[in-house]
Amino acid sequence: MLTGCGNQAQETSAAKEGVAGKLSFYTSQPDEDAAALVQGYNAKYPNVKVEIFRSGTEEVMSKIQAEKQAGGVQADVLLVADAVTFESLKQQNMLLPYRSPEADKIPAGLVDADGAYSGTKVMATALVVNSKVGRLPDTWNVLSDPATKGQSMMPSPLYSGAAAYNLGVFTRMDEFGWDYYKALKANEVAVTKGNGAVLKAVAGGEKNYGMVVDFIVARAKAEGSPVELVYPKEGVPVITEPIGILSETKNEAAAKAFVDYVLSEEGQELAAKLGYTPIREGVKAPEGLKSINEIKVLEGNIAELYQSRDADKQEFTKVFEQ
Amino acid sequence: MFHLLTERVRLGKRVRFSLPSLALEWKKKWGMAAGFLLILIFFILPIMKLLYLSFTSEAGLSMANYTHVLQQAKTWKTIQNTLYIVGGSTLLSVVLGVFTAWLVAYSDIRGKKIITMLIMLSFIIPSYVATLSWTQLMSPNGLLAQGLSSLPGDWKPWNMYSFSGIIFVMGIHHFPLVFMLTVSVLKKIPRDLEWACRMAGAGRATAFRKMTLPLALPGIASGGLLAFLASLDNFGIPAFLGIPADIRVLSTAIYEEIIGFGPSAFARGATLSVLLGVVALIGTGIQWLLLRNSKRLETVQEDDQPRFSLGTFRRITEFSVYGSLLVLIFVPLLSMFLSSFVRAYGLDWNWQNLTWKNYRFILMDSPKVQNALVNSLVLALVTMGVCLIAGTAIAYFRTRKPSFWTKAMELAVGLPYALPGVVFALAMIFTWMEPIPGWNPGLYGTVSILVIAYISRFMILQVRGSITAMMQVDPSMEEAASVCGAQGVVKWYYVLLPLLLPGMLSGAFLVLLTAFTELTVSSLLWSSGSETVGVVIFNFEQAGATTYSTALSSLIVMGIFVGMILIYGLQKQWKRKGVRS
Repeated sequence: MLTGCGNQAQETSAAKEGVAGKLSFYTSQPDEDAAALVQGYNAKYPNVKVEIFRSGTEEVMSKIQAEKQAGGVQADVLLVADAVTFESLKQQNMLLPYRSPEADKIPAGLVDADGAYSGTKVMATALVVNSKVGRLPDTWNVLSDPATKGQSMMPSPLYSGAAAYNLGVFTRMDEFGWDYYKALKANEVAVTKGNGAVLKAVAGGEKNYGMVVDFIVARAKAEGSPVELVYPKEGVPVITEPIGILSETKNEAAAKAFVDYVLSEEGQELAAKLGYTPIREGVKAPEGLKSINEIKVLEGNIAELYQSRDADKQEFTKVFEQ
Repeated sequence: MFHLLTERVRLGKRVRFSLPSLALEWKKKWGMAAGFLLILIFFILPIMKLLYLSFTSEAGLSMANYTHVLQQAKTWKTIQNTLYIVGGSTLLSVVLGVFTAWLVAYSDIRGKKIITMLIMLSFIIPSYVATLSWTQLMSPNGLLAQGLSSLPGDWKPWNMYSFSGIIFVMGIHHFPLVFMLTVSVLKKIPRDLEWACRMAGAGRATAFRKMTLPLALPGIASGGLLAFLASLDNFGIPAFLGIPADIRVLSTAIYEEIIGFGPSAFARGATLSVLLGVVALIGTGIQWLLLRNSKRLETVQEDDQPRFSLGTFRRITEFSVYGSLLVLIFVPLLSMFLSSFVRAYGLDWNWQNLTWKNYRFILMDSPKVQNALVNSLVLALVTMGVCLIAGTAIAYFRTRKPSFWTKAMELAVGLPYALPGVVFALAMIFTWMEPIPGWNPGLYGTVSILVIAYISRFMILQVRGSITAMMQVDPSMEEAASVCGAQGVVKWYYVLLPLLLPGMLSGAFLVLLTAFTELTVSSLLWSSGSETVGVVIFNFEQAGATTYSTALSSLIVMGIFVGMILIYGLQKQWKRKGVRS
């Protein structure tokens, strides 16, 4: 722990000496991004051997739950899509409370009050539109507009954590509510497994509009795919890919150093370089995406969303399966 | 005339004579016991863990999960959908598989090797690629839709997001399983049997129905069962095509339960998995009923010569067979190849958008890919080797000493293949992390867990392949060998192996291919440094790098195609030298 500011430099170098051993990092980030993160961390702490396991958020979570039932969680640090998922681990006392000194530079609403987890970047769910569409829409209501009947797609909340989060946020807003989802059903909006499939359907011209996380659209557009990204004027739900330390960790020092690195200015610059909107104030968003202060965020109460997620999913099933 | 034939066929059922010494008897007993123990550990333990999980609730052991699940109307709807889809796609696989096998085995159609290779290739295209290519082809703004709208009348492309779409894609995805196991069986049916039938006044159709079909049943039923089990566990196709149409099957329902939160999520998922296991058992039971009176042949060599000439129909048959194969196989392949050369996904196909960059990336700039290729190849070869030996041993006991125990053994071996990949992978974690509470053998988190998982999961492919081969070899051959003093290794090496090898190898080939391209199980069990090809493709997909994932899939398909051509060339060489028979 730090005692004052005067000997901070010595403290950290001394701390670095002690940071060594093995660190098991479970994540849902794309492979290359996770590898880049570990590379940056290793540049600072060369004595830690980080082992990465990556899969979809849902797969990572079921692996952790299975490990817990089978004898002990193997992960030290976890980074997956959304806060509600972390909330479930927090409720099961599986997370180690740790408030990183770097978290001061992050909007308070995006860090857990008890320090169980903290957001690492900002991912808005926005509209993806195929470039062949002449007039770009500016509202979520384009999906429920009879003029676009059968031309849209969205990820299923039963399969995608981000989609389940969006469902929780939208249905608790006065201007949307469950009526919005009923209207989507009436307008024949197709539901598919994940965000990637939505992007593909729109890029491939099978559909014209989609509800999808913004960064994959920006990436595809940068590569030359025929897609446009639109932030609707009503605002957008945001997930933050939080990071947290498992309470059963066998290498607390390395795990804390890892969290600090991800939230530090350096780690956030790296996130921006990889094409994500950073969460830390003062770090600029990459080309084609909006920074945190330019986005109108539709916020949800994480604890409430966690409590009601099962009920939300069941209600969704009812609405969409008539 | 007919009864003479049946007499000939019935000769297979004989009592075995042997006078083994006491010591040998003991050795056999111990060997059997050890075998059962291994099967217990590798196949039954994971299933037991699942069963146990399905009876756990917050209040200890109870039936709560079952009452909860079975009271929901949703569950019954799901089971109904599952039976409908799995039944339909199995039927389609069997019809397609038997028809193509019959053409390849008996007719004088040209390019048999090519047809066989194409069918095998279609089997290794990842199911999500196949699915995606069909939805693209049939999309309302796709090429086909534009073509149809220019025709008179109100033609619309087929909606793939429907029961018929799922059944179609699954059926064509699994028909190679039936084809592979049927071809060698058909070739072994002696042609003089057919002549005899025809002499007795039976027409070609009658001869096929009364003679060929019953004799080929072991192969058809084996392949059909594999197609059935594979459709039961398939998650990719119903997830892609079923979710938009609100068609839920057991494998997708299980996934939905498992990713729920809370302590009961797994238990409910396990409960549904047990239901799925019951469906798998029913399927296996039906297969047994079919084979109850199946007939053994006198041992014959495979006969590669065509048996009937298509005559004037040859051209038209070739044209239509190649045409439909091209459509069924090339639609997915082509769409995969095309998107692997495009600069970015979704761009039109013209010169300025074409690039080699995707291939350059996976071949040059990505050490992960090379690692994964090596890992998968080693894993697949090890799995194939173990399965070839163990699976053939299991098949031997199952066919030569049919008893309650050996039947139960076959069931146990088949279950891991029918469970959805996610469930099976979780069961592996429960089983192998601490097989005995408090003792962690250190398998989990290394490549060993993948080897164990693959062997448990794909053993049934080898077992079915070897059983099919064994059912074609009359026990009298073995007796003759024993009478002449050949025992054990000698008997196997000189007598049984040469006869069984073709059938055994088609099973081994299936194991190799499925293990090489396995995805779901690996995606939960891999660890740093043991990425498999499936995991790498999955990671590309999830990162939105579709062009890379299709490039890698295309490379693998090409690699396997080259491999097949090499094998074929070697076979030719070998044949020229003359084979000991």
